[in-house]
Amino acid sequence: MKVPTTLRISAAAIVGSLALTGCISGGADDGGDDDDTIDIGISLPLTGDFSEPGKGVERGYEAWAAYVNENGGLLGKQVELTILDDQSNADRVASDYEKLINQDGVDLVFGPFSTRLVIPAAQVAQDYGFLFVEPAGAAPEVFEQGFDNLFYAAPAVADDHYDHLADYIEQMPAGQRPETAAVASMDDPFAMGTAYGLRDRLEEMGVRLVVDEVYPPNTTDFSSIAAKIANSDADIVIGGTQYQDAVNLIIALQQLDYQPKMAAFSTAPTNPEFPEAIGEQTEGILSPTGYTPEAPFPANQEFVEFYTEMHGNPPGEDEANAWSTGEVVAAAVEAVGCADPDPECQQELIDWLHENEVDTVVGPLSWDETGKPQGAHLIQQYVDGEIRIVLPEDQAEADIVPVKPEW
Amino acid sequence: MSLLLQSIVLGVLLGGLYALLAAGLTLYFGVMRVVMIAHSAFLILAAYLAWWFSTETGIDPLVSLVATVPLFFLVGVGMQRLLIARLRPATMTMMSVLLTFAIALTIEGLLGYVFTGTQRRVRLSYGGGDFEVLGANIAVVKLIAFGLAAASLLALFLVLTRTKFGQALRATIQHPEAARLVGINTERIAGYGFGIGLATAAVGGTALSLDSTIYPSLHWHWIGPLMAIIVVGGLGSIPGAAIAAMVLGLGQSLLQIPLGTTWAQTFFYVALFLTLMLRPQGFFGGRLAQRF
Repeated sequence: MKVPTTLRISAAAIVGSLALTGCISGGADDGGDDDDTIDIGISLPLTGDFSEPGKGVERGYEAWAAYVNENGGLLGKQVELTILDDQSNADRVASDYEKLINQDGVDLVFGPFSTRLVIPAAQVAQDYGFLFVEPAGAAPEVFEQGFDNLFYAAPAVADDHYDHLADYIEQMPAGQRPETAAVASMDDPFAMGTAYGLRDRLEEMGVRLVVDEVYPPNTTDFSSIAAKIANSDADIVIGGTQYQDAVNLIIALQQLDYQPKMAAFSTAPTNPEFPEAIGEQTEGILSPTGYTPEAPFPANQEFVEFYTEMHGNPPGEDEANAWSTGEVVAAAVEAVGCADPDPECQQELIDWLHENEVDTVVGPLSWDETGKPQGAHLIQQYVDGEIRIVLPEDQAEADIVPVKPEW
Repeated sequence: MSLLLQSIVLGVLLGGLYALLAAGLTLYFGVMRVVMIAHSAFLILAAYLAWWFSTETGIDPLVSLVATVPLFFLVGVGMQRLLIARLRPATMTMMSVLLTFAIALTIEGLLGYVFTGTQRRVRLSYGGGDFEVLGANIAVVKLIAFGLAAASLLALFLVLTRTKFGQALRATIQHPEAARLVGINTERIAGYGFGIGLATAAVGGTALSLDSTIYPSLHWHWIGPLMAIIVVGGLGSIPGAAIAAMVLGLGQSLLQIPLGTTWAQTFFYVALFLTLMLRPQGFFGGRLAQRF
């Protein structure tokens, strides 16, 4: 006798899912109280395209868990992380969270790295009613999916990164304000978001846009873009950049002897490699940053000390955003008093975060209904050969240099 | 007007670099019908060696050529004798894609393992330096890269046309059986030809390192345009590749003014499609490619 394969598979699936439901409810019953650990499930891109930042986030999560466990745990319980590798693959990340929630029966989940992986992961969490706090995924798409369980644990989304700089330019006397702007951005939602946030604010102020270029991520030659910008002789140049494109573009601009009054580039200037690549010509370059170890927030000193002791070097932005993800979830858990996969508990955590502000290493965070944080990034500038916070003024380490020295 | 002039200058400099980077690629195909996907990976390897040499010693990265050119030549000869010569001649072209693809992945993986994925750039005191000619700025590093390209292509041309070895190599390219009949050891010649191709990668990679930020997976961004250049120029023809590189580099640079970067990049592929439709043997390769 031959049983059709599909029938056999569905029978197996039914039996399997029955067993699974049994496991989950069992887990909630006996695991909830007897269990003296809180299990947190995470999937990260530890290999593939995003492996560098993915490992940074992993270090941040692990440092946070170690810190919490050293200081009495969460609700008196030890925290345990289960970290899977999604290989930077969007299909893989969804099945990872399915597995974490369904099979491993974790109590909480933390988000993965980057927009492309955050969206599918958040969808799974949403389907199971889980709270989903994520350390990276700042592109507008993330907040347009209608997630009500998602919170981005960083100060601002891409469009708002330059808000402090835009405010500063706005209050400059009319004669000193830049009159023309040149924009070049990588064709990437995050990079474009940062550059266009500033571009649009400048246009509102009446600054004339003379160059507006977009280049694909695989661009190897920046001299033609630089030629266009140099030819326009714009007062301010804005780069919606990642890393290598910023370095290549800046050197191509120098090679054409273009001297803007202001130069703002995202991401690259805050990278420790940047001054090594550009040399002494970094002076006056502006960049928004979501995190710096020097940030004056009270929780930050402790974080930097703890992390530096653990790893021998101060944390970067990925580590800080991971740590603040932990802080945000912990704040909700402590306030609500529960941490289990039960949808009611998860809903309470979600509701609490929608209504409250949390102090983190990247500053106080609060969110709108889509999970978008309501802050702006600090603005850093190379002053006397070192990158320093210059805006907003109440957190500044150095005075902003309004007219960039020649590079 | 000055933008146009500037773009022409930049286009010529870029075209020269493209010509150097593509020269080896067309040589491998000419000598052995090998599609060498790993050529750009070797370029990046040479660029990394130049960067590493210059950061360790503080000496100009160009000096690293003294070691990398002979090294790459030997690696090329070895690679041809030990790996590529083992492929069956009938399926050489196709299997070489697989083989060299694997080599490219290996190089990329090793670079990532040894030097990490961090993006590097050689820091040169003259990196941002330039001088002005008739209102157009010429970057010193780009001019050096162009000079390297011109010198090595000229050297390659002289070797191929003026020496006995060059004659043997060209004979091997044009008709391997006939070459064997007149007493040329085509296998050994093919090995040397491959070595010379890889030696151009050492020069090209070093030229590249002067003016770009490098990272292990960068080679994937280069192989596409370089392949387009050698097909347009005619597979196996070094002058063809040089002319195609110049035309495409200049075209890309000029098209960028009205079209922007994204569309200007497609110029390479438009040229590739047009070539395949109108003149599949390429514009300069002529006889050779027709036989496939």
